[in-house]
Amino acid sequence: MTVSLSTLDRGEHFDIDAVGDPEVRAKLLRLGFLDGTVECHRRVPNGPVVLRRNGTTLAIGHRIAEDITVTPTDPT
Amino acid sequence: MTGTDADHPADGQTIALVGCPNVGKSVVFNALADTYVDVSNYPGTTVETTVGRVGEDTLTDTPGVYGLSSFSAEERIAKDIVLDADVVVNVVDATHLDRDLFLTLQLLDMGIPTVVAVNMMDETAAAGIDIDVEGLEARLGVPVVPTVAVTGDGIDSLNDRIGEATAPETTPVAAWFEALPEDLALSRAEQTLLVEADTDTAEQLEADSESMADGGQPGVLDETRRETVYGQRRDRVSDITDAVITVTDREESLGERISDLMIAPRTGTPIALATLGVIYVLIGDLVAQRLVDVIETRLFGDYYTPFVQAVVGEALPDTAWADPLRYVLLNENLGLLTVTVQYVLGVLLPLVVAFYLAIGVLEDSGVLPRLAVLTDRGLDRIGLNGRAIVPMIVGVGCVTMAVITTRMVGSRRDRLIATGLLGLAIPCSAQLGVILGLLAGLGMVWWFAYLGVLVAVFGVAGVVLDRVLPGEGQGLITELPRMRVPRPENVLRKTATRTRMFLREAAPLFAVTALGISVLDYAGALTTIERGLAPVTGVLGVPASFAQVLILGIIRRDFAAAGMTDLQLGAAQTFVGLVVITLFVPCILSMTMIVKERDLKSGLVMWVGSWVVAFGVGAVLAGVLL
Repeated sequence: MTVSLSTLDRGEHFDIDAVGDPEVRAKLLRLGFLDGTVECHRRVPNGPVVLRRNGTTLAIGHRIAEDITVTPTDPT
Repeated sequence: MTGTDADHPADGQTIALVGCPNVGKSVVFNALADTYVDVSNYPGTTVETTVGRVGEDTLTDTPGVYGLSSFSAEERIAKDIVLDADVVVNVVDATHLDRDLFLTLQLLDMGIPTVVAVNMMDETAAAGIDIDVEGLEARLGVPVVPTVAVTGDGIDSLNDRIGEATAPETTPVAAWFEALPEDLALSRAEQTLLVEADTDTAEQLEADSESMADGGQPGVLDETRRETVYGQRRDRVSDITDAVITVTDREESLGERISDLMIAPRTGTPIALATLGVIYVLIGDLVAQRLVDVIETRLFGDYYTPFVQAVVGEALPDTAWADPLRYVLLNENLGLLTVTVQYVLGVLLPLVVAFYLAIGVLEDSGVLPRLAVLTDRGLDRIGLNGRAIVPMIVGVGCVTMAVITTRMVGSRRDRLIATGLLGLAIPCSAQLGVILGLLAGLGMVWWFAYLGVLVAVFGVAGVVLDRVLPGEGQGLITELPRMRVPRPENVLRKTATRTRMFLREAAPLFAVTALGISVLDYAGALTTIERGLAPVTGVLGVPASFAQVLILGIIRRDFAAAGMTDLQLGAAQTFVGLVVITLFVPCILSMTMIVKERDLKSGLVMWVGSWVVAFGVGAVLAGVLL
């Protein structure tokens, strides 16, 4: 089941599937956010989501987050 | 390459310092460099680069980037500097190896001789990790030196090993090289960038090959291949980090808890407002008002100006031809030797220093990206993203300074919107002080009405600019670095270099502008403008003498506000007048800075636009109230 990144709640874990903007995709790829499970650390309602993976914290604005689809996973 | 010039000794190498943002690159730079040489904008950009000397070699700092490609001006510059360098010192953050090694492996794939400095080794324990440095060196195949740049630990060893810089003979990226056209003589670096679909390298290639018979290179830009190459490099990063990092236990640090509080709207908003309050008191009140006041009246009013007037008065003969010269040099509005010097050294310099100190603290502590996250939702509606909050905050202190900080705001389009809003709807503290005084006499209702009008204009102008300008606003995507206590020496050093650079660039520009205005003034053009404004003052329902206030406002905004205290106006007239002078053109300093940071055309459009908006809004208010 895939959902938009902008709908996730804090504490949820997920894999990133598709990224609308190729430039954003390249950025996420470089930072390792497409390698495996990512944690949603915070979410401002209608605002940015804050993601975490391997000690790197990344904030993504609502506009971009809406364009990213993810598959929620069980935290392991 | 023969002969030795002072800047590039023939026998020395060029060393580039490369790394992700916030890895302590500038601290490593200062620890390595023997002598400070120069900070300047990279040609054709507003990105600063620093060049220093290590023995015979030249050391160049690069902007912090996560990888080398053409996604931003910073990346392009870093890439260009790397391609020109003989050796790269790659600084990585010991606590963020998983993030930083992508760039390291990219450098090695490109065949760039590299030494890796694993910085912030002192923070690994707190981050709950243990790093096998020798294992990392073995796996990368290049020298790896652990450092703690802030204390100088490991810097000597890093310096010693720069000579050992190397790159592996070949790396897995070479597997894709054969997909590239064979007839091109490409370096390993170019081949790597090309298989990663770097647009600049491809364009360069296309331009070069146009002279050849068959022209274009189909399939050179392949984003799918970039994906594969990046993905494979990430796999290699994971293999390395799995092998060399041992994760121990860690607790949530105080910094992380503060960070969470700053991001959540309910707690973050009061924290942000308090921070703004402190900045406002420091820059807007303490420096812009009190300190500048003392400097202007005491230092310049009592000593400097009378002294210069006496000296120049004596030096110039008392003849007719010397009269215009005397006017240009000494006039009380914008004399080149009197008021101009006073503005630059007495007003701007203290402001610039205070402002750079405040920004330095915010940068070093990691507060700025949190503020961006907090404000992103609101700013998104006017086509900006959260990063635009900084110029807006600084603007209330001083619009001129704020225009410089628009560099932090993503794209060219975003910068234009931010600059336009700054010039139009943000009153600077100097002006706000006088305006507050005038409004206080009228009562609270007028104060709120004034704020309401400004907020409305800000919002409407933002939405309009967002719609009118081509393209689309860039969303926010930013890393949140660890929060930390700012290091004073770091903040002071940054402040010193930035101030020096600012004065070097702004002083001549301002002098030229002042000269131009003085000449116009002497020729009587300003009086003509004043007369021409008579219909406008009529529409606004204010006396014709208000035109004088406007002329003053062109030069300095608080002059306009101060000029209004001398006019005999009713409550509604004062209100309309204040709104008009707030929306009216940015002061001459801000204008100069807008032209310098953007371009002449944008500057002129904004200048004319603010006349139109100021009088338009003023006329509507006058129609309702008067």
